[in-house]
Amino acid sequence: MALMRAKLLRQDFLGGLAIIAVAAFAYWQARDLSTAAAGGMGPGTLPKGLAVLLAGLGVLLVLHSVKSESMGRWSVRGPLFVLGGLVLFGITVRPLGLAVAGPLAIAAASLASSEARWRETLIYGVLMTVFCVALFKYALGLPIPLAPWLVGY
Amino acid sequence: MELLSNLALGFATALSPSNLFLGFVGCLVGTLIGVLPGVGPIATIAMLMPLTLKVDPTGALIMLAGIYYGAQYGGSTTAILVNMPGEVTAVVTALDGHEMAKQGRAGAALGIAALGSFFAGSVATLIIAAIGVPLTRLALLFGPAEYFALMVFGLGLAIVLARGSVLKAVIMVVLGLLLSTVGTDLETGQDRLTLGIAELSDGVDFAVLAMGLFGIAEILRNLENPESRNVAIAQIGRLLPTRAELKRCFGPIVRATGVGSILGILPGNGAVLGPFASYAMEKKLATDPSRFGKGAIEGVAGPEAANNAGAQTSFIPLLTLGIPPNAVMALMVGAMTIHGLIPGPQVITKYPNLFWGMIASMWIGNLLLLIINLPLIGLWVRLLKVPYRLMFTTILLFCAIGIYSINNNPYDVYFTAFFGLVGYLFIKLGLEPAPLLLGFVLGRLMEEKMRQALALSEGSFMTFVERPVAAVLLALAVGIILIAVMPAVARSRQKAFQE
Repeated sequence: MALMRAKLLRQDFLGGLAIIAVAAFAYWQARDLSTAAAGGMGPGTLPKGLAVLLAGLGVLLVLHSVKSESMGRWSVRGPLFVLGGLVLFGITVRPLGLAVAGPLAIAAASLASSEARWRETLIYGVLMTVFCVALFKYALGLPIPLAPWLVGY
Repeated sequence: MELLSNLALGFATALSPSNLFLGFVGCLVGTLIGVLPGVGPIATIAMLMPLTLKVDPTGALIMLAGIYYGAQYGGSTTAILVNMPGEVTAVVTALDGHEMAKQGRAGAALGIAALGSFFAGSVATLIIAAIGVPLTRLALLFGPAEYFALMVFGLGLAIVLARGSVLKAVIMVVLGLLLSTVGTDLETGQDRLTLGIAELSDGVDFAVLAMGLFGIAEILRNLENPESRNVAIAQIGRLLPTRAELKRCFGPIVRATGVGSILGILPGNGAVLGPFASYAMEKKLATDPSRFGKGAIEGVAGPEAANNAGAQTSFIPLLTLGIPPNAVMALMVGAMTIHGLIPGPQVITKYPNLFWGMIASMWIGNLLLLIINLPLIGLWVRLLKVPYRLMFTTILLFCAIGIYSINNNPYDVYFTAFFGLVGYLFIKLGLEPAPLLLGFVLGRLMEEKMRQALALSEGSFMTFVERPVAAVLLALAVGIILIAVMPAVARSRQKAFQE
């Protein structure tokens, strides 16, 4: 059992399986695309061909995984809050504008680090947003919403 | 003489006030990110691409190029002063450069790094100018079949030169090619692999992919390995190396410029390998190799020159053939496309201002770097004291704003988050994302050329074998990969990368 787990936790074993899964998914998605056309190549030729090739390479990787390194530690906190901060920015930037989305993204992302201090984050988030508004909105004239609910744009 | 009039046109373009300003900004920003570890040129260029939407394409490319070679300069400053190479290419510089700093010769190390880089940059600029035109003429003789074969050969070289296992590099290239097929099929208009998401019908946006895989994933990696920053700076001392030191460095700089220039043109890790190759070479050639690692000035001069030469010659395949040799150049393709320019041999004839202006700007940029870098060293070092907990949130906000602004579309921000997660998985699985990016960029072009070639040959795949140039290139591509996986070669390759 312990041996099984050690094998499963190897980088290339998992990596190979993931690659095979991606290849299978791509092939399944491309199933309705034709591989033949007048010019010799249909829209499906390349996606399907590459998916098959990729799956084969994934199998090779699994077969060669015995010597690969074991998986490192996974962290949840970093990815959760950093990616969460990005998504939060995407959700809020249109309806609420940069004035809200900016500090919100910074606050959410700062939770990813254990060193975060609340007061510092808040002040920094606001200052950074002001800087970004000045740079992107005014100096560069990008059409990013500022605060539609307050100033109308 | 044609070369001179072309260069004159280039300098006239690059010296216009707005282009000079953009070049200066590019160099400054480049140095800044070069100094900061954890912020690479790929993420920065992706981040700043939307900023260039408002300027003309020449100015935009001048600025983006400045970021790239500015980063090479900046990376060495921190490598020497605080033993923290800001970029991979400066890793070798830290070996002897930081030793010199410990001995109180930081100034001389910084000075020779700047002088070596400037010399190499100037030579590389001349090389680009000299071989740009002939290479373009050659490229114009290529039909779609030859072009396709050339790109396969390029990918083959990129795989062989990539870090880590050949199998993994092949996997990443194929994954990139597969990703490039996402979106509407050009000939039939059918949706391919879009998962029914309307935003994907134009394909995956290049900046989104690069930002996720490099920028965001890099943040996640850094958060996991908190580094202790010990910024104690020794006395910098006089910046100009002594005459004896200069004399000792002349040979290494010239040799490194040659090696770096050649490696820079090669696809894949070429520009990164230059400094390592130069260091190894100087150590072998030295009368007393034991000095290396203990503050030998040649160990700083050579790699720095190689690094800068390679950074610049890697523009050659992009500007003449339209084939990006590495991930940064792939981003340049993205930037050119945003401005409606298709990279390729026609650029030089259609937009001589852009081509020669960019080349001239590189020389001017090198001069600017020489001037701005040395007096600003104190400022750069102070920047290192900004704690990472503040830095990464700033990077994230810039990324978010930059990505959103490309199409004013929140979906791009979500996709970036997705590719950030993918990039994190790649790190955990030990997969290098650079070959993927290269495969992705070349993928669309390759499919287009492949289809054109097949249309010309009425559907016969034999066209790739019957046309001699195409056949030779394809055979070479297969050959180098086969050689690289042969057990004996694979072992020495591994050893070479460890050095």
